[in-house]
Amino acid sequence: MSNPSSATMSQFRHSATVAIADIQLQGALTGATNKFVNGRTTALTELPHADALRDHFKKIRAATLANLPHYLELFEQRATAAGAQVHWAQTGQDAVDIVLNIARQRGVKLVTKSKSMATEEIHLNTALEANGIVPVETDLGEWIIQLAGEPPSHIIGPAIHKTRHQVAELFSKEVGRPLSPDDIDGLTAEARRLLRTQFLAAGLGISGGNLGIAETGTLVLVTNEGNGRLVTSAPPVHIAIIGIEKICPDWDAAATWLALLARSATGQPMSIYTTAITGPRRPDEPDGPEEVHLILLDNGRSQLTGTPYEESLQCIRCGACLNVCPVYKKAGGHAYGSPYSGPIGAVITPLLFGLEEYAALPQASTLCGACKDACPARIDLPRMLLQLRQDEVAAHLLPWRERKAEEFAAYVLGSAGRMNFFTKLGRWGQRPFQHDDGLKLPISVGDGRALPSLAPKPFRQLWAEGELDNT
Amino acid sequence: MNPRDEILARLRQAQRDETLPPPWQSRRDFPELAARFRQALTAVKGEVHQVDSLAAAHDLTNQLLRQIEAEKVVVNDERPLHNLPRLPHITYHQVGQEDAALRDFCASADAGLTSADAALAETGTVILTSGPGKSRLASLLPPVHIALVPTAALTTDLFTWTAGFNRQLPANLNFISGPSKTADIEQTMAVGVHGPKRFIVILYA
Ligand code: SF4
Repeated sequence: MSNPSSATMSQFRHSATVAIADIQLQGALTGATNKFVNGRTTALTELPHADALRDHFKKIRAATLANLPHYLELFEQRATAAGAQVHWAQTGQDAVDIVLNIARQRGVKLVTKSKSMATEEIHLNTALEANGIVPVETDLGEWIIQLAGEPPSHIIGPAIHKTRHQVAELFSKEVGRPLSPDDIDGLTAEARRLLRTQFLAAGLGISGGNLGIAETGTLVLVTNEGNGRLVTSAPPVHIAIIGIEKICPDWDAAATWLALLARSATGQPMSIYTTAITGPRRPDEPDGPEEVHLILLDNGRSQLTGTPYEESLQCIRCGACLNVCPVYKKAGGHAYGSPYSGPIGAVITPLLFGLEEYAALPQASTLCGACKDACPARIDLPRMLLQLRQDEVAAHLLPWRERKAEEFAAYVLGSAGRMNFFTKLGRWGQRPFQHDDGLKLPISVGDGRALPSLAPKPFRQLWAEGELDNT
Repeated sequence: MNPRDEILARLRQAQRDETLPPPWQSRRDFPELAARFRQALTAVKGEVHQVDSLAAAHDLTNQLLRQIEAEKVVVNDERPLHNLPRLPHITYHQVGQEDAALRDFCASADAGLTSADAALAETGTVILTSGPGKSRLASLLPPVHIALVPTAALTTDLFTWTAGFNRQLPANLNFISGPSKTADIEQTMAVGVHGPKRFIVILYA
């Protein structure tokens, strides 16, 4: 599958149609999202006062973003005091350049990476490869899609779209002998064996960061496999790339963050490894990196503060909104043409990478509100999706037919008289197109679908005539 | 302006004073911390043993090392491990001595022995820190990690821990809540991806 780096109306429709027809993919999506949803529900039910904790977290995130410059400076100051080197990147390219510079200075040929959405966002692997540096993804899911040459399809489960048969095929090619798709432990063991040598040989480890704690200048990384620990412990140099919005004021707030993150993401009470890094190895320590670099990535985020979209920066990338989204569950992550998919992707992708290029995404929602319900920070994604739709209308980004149709709908729905008149007209006009299974109009409403025809009597009339009693 | 100042300048335009809510108070109240710890950790395939003295913890450690037929064992320089009787057929690496050889040793070791600074009952989590004589790789590279943890190190959850924590951070602090695992292939759980396959906690009184 290609990575279009855009999602116009026609691109999204096309990729979604292909995805919906892909039975294997549909099975994989349903299996994965259901599993995540059940896990989350169980974990939050087991946590006392989970709803109050989410309200509390919302307040923390809002107050942090309101005072972001303060916390960023504090983070920088404390991290520097602990011996880390802090860099600021305005754009993705700036961040890439900082990484390449460090890699060149240290003569790095091999890089191990732990899963990081920020590095996906700035296309770091492509840049490393173009400069003769080999990046090896070490999160099992990321490694699978790296071998397949695909972008991630879920914020926390990058390879959820892959079946074990596809994984076995990829791994078999890598080790040069056939591996059984039914032996998942065996596949995992092969990955452990192959990646272990890379961990120990790499000159540089690159990670993302789940949060940065201002109070102590600490970077926090959450993983299950242990690759995050390896990437940040084994190589002599560690670089972390973290969005400027992922700052947390102090350890008390971080506890709330961590109490909600894994529960919302995978349904675990806590991920297996939560690693807190405060500067490089100290002089009397037996191991750990000699250098730690923290790159604070803006890439469009700072423009959102103080706008109606600031709330989107409260996101902690748990993926819960993806798992409950009826559009994501059918279209899959790749249709969004962005590392960020699902409801949060539909909001931040156009904001960070261009509304015109991603015009389909604000429309890729039923506005059912399930995302807002699931979000640990209670982010009002539907509100922002609607706002983005308004922006699209204002910027004339909608196809003219849709614009005219909506203007017409607004006109009809604007008065009861017009509504009555046009319903009557419709009942008469639909006759030539009426079939047993609904209306077959000459314009397409999606493959294999029919609109229901207008009822002989509208509900309002049935109600007024008292025909609804006892039915 | 440099990138830093430009970013901060943009952010300052929207800066406003909003106070943080006071720290969340733990709503947990476990009748017995050790019991909850055991339940939480075993639920994620960790192993928990409870013994009533450090000497018993040492016995159990050596019994486990014999069981897994360990030949190479890396030992952190931490108080609970100081008097651990050494088994004759095992080669030990004592962290803090000949650290140049530490990494290679860890990569081929059968087990790593550590203590822990604290443990969280709610989630079956132990907290390990780096420092002099305390290796990060010792609890990471070998397939088996055994942690000897005094019961007194148990606290209720993250909230009670942060409330009592002095904010003196080591370079590396790890919350470990089970053996390394993945569910990246068809959401099927597999244990021991990059970190230890077995995570054994010995709680001693
Ligand atoms: S918007 Fe909320 S639910 Fe979605 S990924 Fe972000 S934090 Fe999670």
